Amino acid sequence: MSSYASRRQFDLDWMERWARIVNDDRILPVIGRFFTGKFVIGFDSNDYLVEVQDGRVRRIFDGLTPNNFGYDFGLRASSSTWSKFCQPVPPPMFNDIWAMAHPLHENLKIEGNTLPFWQNVRALTRMLALMRDV
Amino acid sequence: MNTHEPIVGRYVYIQCEGKTYRTYYEEAGEGIPMVCLHTAGADGREYRHQLCDPDYTRNFRMIAFDLPWHGKSIPPEDFYLMEEEYKLTEKFYAEFIMAFIRALDLEKPVLMGQSMGGNVCLPLALNYEHEFSAFISLEGCDHSPGWWIDPLNHPAVGCDGVATSIFGLMSPESPDVYRHETWWYYAQGGPGIFKGDLHYYSVDSDFRDRAHKISGRVPIYFITGDYDFACTPEMTEQTAEKVKGSECIIFSGGHFPTSEDPAKFKDVVAPVLRKIVQNDPMARGGQASRPSSSGSDNRSSGGRPDRRVVDL
Repeated sequence: MSSYASRRQFDLDWMERWARIVNDDRILPVIGRFFTGKFVIGFDSNDYLVEVQDGRVRRIFDGLTPNNFGYDFGLRASSSTWSKFCQPVPPPMFNDIWAMAHPLHENLKIEGNTLPFWQNVRALTRMLALMRDV
Repeated sequence: MNTHEPIVGRYVYIQCEGKTYRTYYEEAGEGIPMVCLHTAGADGREYRHQLCDPDYTRNFRMIAFDLPWHGKSIPPEDFYLMEEEYKLTEKFYAEFIMAFIRALDLEKPVLMGQSMGGNVCLPLALNYEHEFSAFISLEGCDHSPGWWIDPLNHPAVGCDGVATSIFGLMSPESPDVYRHETWWYYAQGGPGIFKGDLHYYSVDSDFRDRAHKISGRVPIYFITGDYDFACTPEMTEQTAEKVKGSECIIFSGGHFPTSEDPAKFKDVVAPVLRKIVQNDPMARGGQASRPSSSGSDNRSSGGRPDRRVVDL
């Protein structure tokens, strides 16, 4: 998929629709109660900074600036990889963050401080699975 | 209405490497003994559906034990004095399985294991082939690297984080209730036990230089689901090509076939069970189960725009 296509598919409007689905979810406030932080989702070279508080998305920034003071961790992959992940029934090896990041496959990079990633991976997994509903 | 399942649980004391292990096992059925090995960091509940299903228990005495440190099997009594973290090794794992089989006086059982239980079928087939009648290696291969990682034994990562690491190993088309039940088993593991098992799974089970030495005199059936990203179909197929006389079945499913989708698993394993009954060296079992085998695919081994912010 071209970079143009990735901007079109995974643009800020798409991210906003996803975030609103996340914030309407009735399970995330339970399993994500202590998930507060900032992470990056990267589609090709396009980064979005996602601010999460108590399991809800508070802000999405299109790209990063010094004013953001960085982020906790990043999940970066090609838009082609994210497109597979977002299919209603994702194909093998593309159905899960750790599946895509596992050293055997490396279709996605988990960057930065991975400790908050693992601490919140249950809520994060549900959050990202809701991309399939966008 | 109150009902009981046919499963009966007991404890047996197993001696292994100089220590005594109070070991829990469950069983149901009569006929050819089949010892069922759970995955890393889990316990024998992964086989609860099979132990309750007459399509298995009419021909097989199904037995699932919890390894020490797992499920209802407690650690050795001096575990709190250990000077290094728990690490499962091939040597201990294989010797414990053999000690369990001897403690129960099982004669030429079938060994069915999944994940690390599938991998350990290889050394047992190499070193103890005369003591088994068949091996069923579920989600098994001769080298499965990449899982012995510290986040799975970190005091700041909870049981839910450890459990979620395995969630994507299951097929998205497996029933939600069973996928989450499997997740629950993992959330109940002791601290560091899943990671310690993965020392065997990803480090000490490298069998790449030995797989070709297995004689092939005892049947080995490899069964792997296409959503298994730890032991991919290709990894199983490459292993099966090295193991003489083995059969390899790739199906649409995940890494926990017995617990994540028991109905699908029954379809896939039914032809294997029929062959095992028909070819049993001691002619045990009588009525091979004949559920349909739909759904399986048998492969023989062989410049950024202006920056905007959304406020929610």
